[in-house]
Amino acid sequence: MKNGFSVFLASFLALSLSWCGFVLGPAKQLGTQKQAAVLNSSDVYPIQRSGAAALGLQVYRANGCAACHTEQVRQDGVACEVVLASAGKKPTAVSNLLSTLKLAGLTKEEADAASDKISGAGGTVETHVVPVGVEIPRWGLRQSVAADYLYDTPVQLGSLRAGPDLANVAARFPDLNWQLVHLYAPQAVVKNSAMPPFRFLFEVRNIKPADTPSPDALKFPQGFAPPAGSEVVPTTEAKELAAYLLSLKVDAPLYEAPFTPVMTKP
Amino acid sequence: MNDEAKSNCPANTGGEPVATNSPVPMAMVVLTLTLLFLGGVYFDHHSGWFNARVYTPYVSAEQLDLYQPKSGAAAAAAQGKKVYETVCGICHGNDGMGKPAMAPPLAGSEWVITAGFHRLAQIPLNGLNGNLQVEGKDWNLNMAPMGAALSDADLAAVLTYIRTSWGNKAGAVSADDVKTIRAAAAGHPAISAAQLNSIPE
Amino acid sequence: MSENEKSDNLGGASVLASRIDASCRVPLLALFGGAALWLVVGLAMSLVAIMTFHKPDMFADCPFLTYGRAQAAANDLLLYGFCIPAGLGVMLWIFARLSQAELCLPLASIAAANLWHLGVLVGTVAILIGDSTGYAWLEFPRGASVLLFAAFLLVAISAMATFGARKERELYPSHWFLLAALFWFPWIYSTANLFLIVHHPVRGVAQAAIDWWFSNNLVFVWLALVGIGTVFYFLPKLANRPLHSRFLALFAFWTLILFGTWCGIPQGAPVPAWMPSASAAAASLLIVPLIAIAVIACKTVCGSTVACKGGPMCHIKFGTTAFILSGLMLIAASCPQFSRVVEFTWFGPAQAQLQILGFFTIVMCGAIYELLPRVMNFELPFPKFVRLQHWLFMLGVVLWVGSLAVGGVEQGMKLQNPEAAFADSTNVALIFLRAGTTGLLLILLGSLLFAANIFAMTFKWKMSLLKTMITFIKSPLATEEVKS
Repeated sequence: MKNGFSVFLASFLALSLSWCGFVLGPAKQLGTQKQAAVLNSSDVYPIQRSGAAALGLQVYRANGCAACHTEQVRQDGVACEVVLASAGKKPTAVSNLLSTLKLAGLTKEEADAASDKISGAGGTVETHVVPVGVEIPRWGLRQSVAADYLYDTPVQLGSLRAGPDLANVAARFPDLNWQLVHLYAPQAVVKNSAMPPFRFLFEVRNIKPADTPSPDALKFPQGFAPPAGSEVVPTTEAKELAAYLLSLKVDAPLYEAPFTPVMTKP
Repeated sequence: MNDEAKSNCPANTGGEPVATNSPVPMAMVVLTLTLLFLGGVYFDHHSGWFNARVYTPYVSAEQLDLYQPKSGAAAAAAQGKKVYETVCGICHGNDGMGKPAMAPPLAGSEWVITAGFHRLAQIPLNGLNGNLQVEGKDWNLNMAPMGAALSDADLAAVLTYIRTSWGNKAGAVSADDVKTIRAAAAGHPAISAAQLNSIPE
Repeated sequence: MSENEKSDNLGGASVLASRIDASCRVPLLALFGGAALWLVVGLAMSLVAIMTFHKPDMFADCPFLTYGRAQAAANDLLLYGFCIPAGLGVMLWIFARLSQAELCLPLASIAAANLWHLGVLVGTVAILIGDSTGYAWLEFPRGASVLLFAAFLLVAISAMATFGARKERELYPSHWFLLAALFWFPWIYSTANLFLIVHHPVRGVAQAAIDWWFSNNLVFVWLALVGIGTVFYFLPKLANRPLHSRFLALFAFWTLILFGTWCGIPQGAPVPAWMPSASAAAASLLIVPLIAIAVIACKTVCGSTVACKGGPMCHIKFGTTAFILSGLMLIAASCPQFSRVVEFTWFGPAQAQLQILGFFTIVMCGAIYELLPRVMNFELPFPKFVRLQHWLFMLGVVLWVGSLAVGGVEQGMKLQNPEAAFADSTNVALIFLRAGTTGLLLILLGSLLFAANIFAMTFKWKMSLLKTMITFIKSPLATEEVKS
């Protein structure tokens, strides 16, 4: 190139293309998103975090939790499952037919063909949509999409799993005491955990036998309780962080990440 | 080579490095163009063409649309359970067993597990009062039209839920059915228990 | 030309060169001195962070050194504390030398150096007390980022003035790379700050997309531009051969800026599919500039009769190889099948560390070892340290990056097995992390040697300034004594 101006032009061209693509594009497409409708329901998603949970996100950011934990679930694919709703008037014929057919891990076309066959035999079926991937049974019911982070400031996606993924942690560990004990002494509730204890988020207080223990005091599992005469009480930051962790759920089916919720037995 | 020898003379540049004029190998240009083409093909197949709703592993808006779960009995029941526990369970009990002086049971109720659902649907839509016999017991209470404020989908889900839970084995109710019944029953006052039998199931 | 004219030209050239070098003295010392300090502190902070994996409760009661804060501070110290100021200093010297003119507006560069180091200090303290922004590679809060931005603009003014003063109008390949870098940083830094930090940030996961764009353009593209610009200047100079092909260098420049800037969105990201697809396509195209740069470097160096002996040439050769490898790792991590395994493992940090430590730090150290004696007009105080540092860095980088990369792949493969518990994957990575700590220690030792040379040179220069002042003050008295 001949002179500085042509270098400037070349750089401007290259950078403005990717700026339009990866800055302007997401800002327009994702930055203006509104709440999404939950599939087959009148609910909207997500609901903005309230009070303590919103403050907890700031505690999460300040302590750099995203350095070890991610908050995103990935999906490798999607499959259909054909489930019998009722056997109809000819149950034996239907069950014979079922034993010959493949009913899980189907594409939509295969699932439609199978359900046509079973309907023809007199049974009623439903087609369930099932996300496929190693992360689905481990971390969440479906992959994370933009709607999951709509109200987060800052979005703490994380990039390393030195610790488990937290997108759906409230569904796996819904107990407040468990979360607080895990923050104070991770090794007490997770064997061989590599997580550092966050003791500076807690206060250890002396209590005399006559005093009533604080209602916030942590209840420890066998063998990890603090020495007699002292109790561990969470500071406001610890409570906010725990509230934030307990608000992390990814369980609403959306248009972008459809799945059929499995109803738990009453 | 002559070019290179001349241009390396330090006197011309004061000891600063110089560059030769060798051309770019054609192989590099061919490689770049090939990769550009392949990259374009990859983008075409995997990008969903800038659609904001297509996320990997879906590759197109058509495929995403294909895999939307249709609201079947299972999907509706999950929503039905939620709405029931919010709206109905306070009086009828989350276990469907009813509460004395509040509401009759729904589990095993002959009014719930009917083959048709037209009569059943009108109870939450219009309300019910008067003396009603349910599972051999008399219930003389007032029910407000608790279902009037629910959407068609939600009311259908609740009706499906009470007809398929706690041992009840009756058929589902769809949102379209609720829409038809609601339209037909619009503006009717609360049903009295005595009239209930005259309404077709 | 007659022999006399030639030697006169050479003599004139060397007088001019020494004037140019002298004009760069104070700005470069200001930039490099702080950079060397931040390099040592940053590597020490990395060591503090990695200690969490050896003994988790080491900093359980100390919020300032908890892993999340220490790791973010370490990353930013290495990138903003060492890499950018060192790169800017080397860039100023290269511009001055290529322009055959003294450094213009040196006061702007000196002010910039001080502002920059102040900004890094403010930012690092902010991260450690809990005020980090939460965005990767952009953790310095608003106050620090304003200082850094202002400092960069001041250096850019000085560099552009020096560039404009050139007599030889034809541009050398390094010019393209370094000029592009001068333009690149203000745009990406201001965009990232305006969209994410200064005002209320964009809504939702758009924040992550912009952060990824920024991180890739800074850590991969900007460091590549400055690093390769430096390599293309020093390799021919040290090998005493011309740079192979300005046209291939132009090709490498265009393909690097056109395609490199689009990489960066991870494959499994919770963003619409077009973004990861575009990144994957761009990453596959990245092989082209990598091949071009490798060919240029090889053809420039091979056949050279100059032996490197652990000197700056060795540093720069190793750094270039590290760049090619880091680029290959980036391409591999963008393949959807491989990304499925290694995303969210230590493989990603391994690639970043290879780029920052293996490539950029080593190239800058080599360049600084080559130019600083000329600028200061005396030899390095500890010349043996150069070779020792080369070996420490080389071994250290291979151990550190290699352990992280292999550990990451092992971790990823364990997680692909649905039967394996999550703890299995962390356990298998721990072994590699502990091995890698030795590598980090070696790199830290090497950086201490580098800092020793820089600080000793600064000290020696300040002492010589002091002596000159004292002699000047004493000299009227000496005349008096002689008279009497």
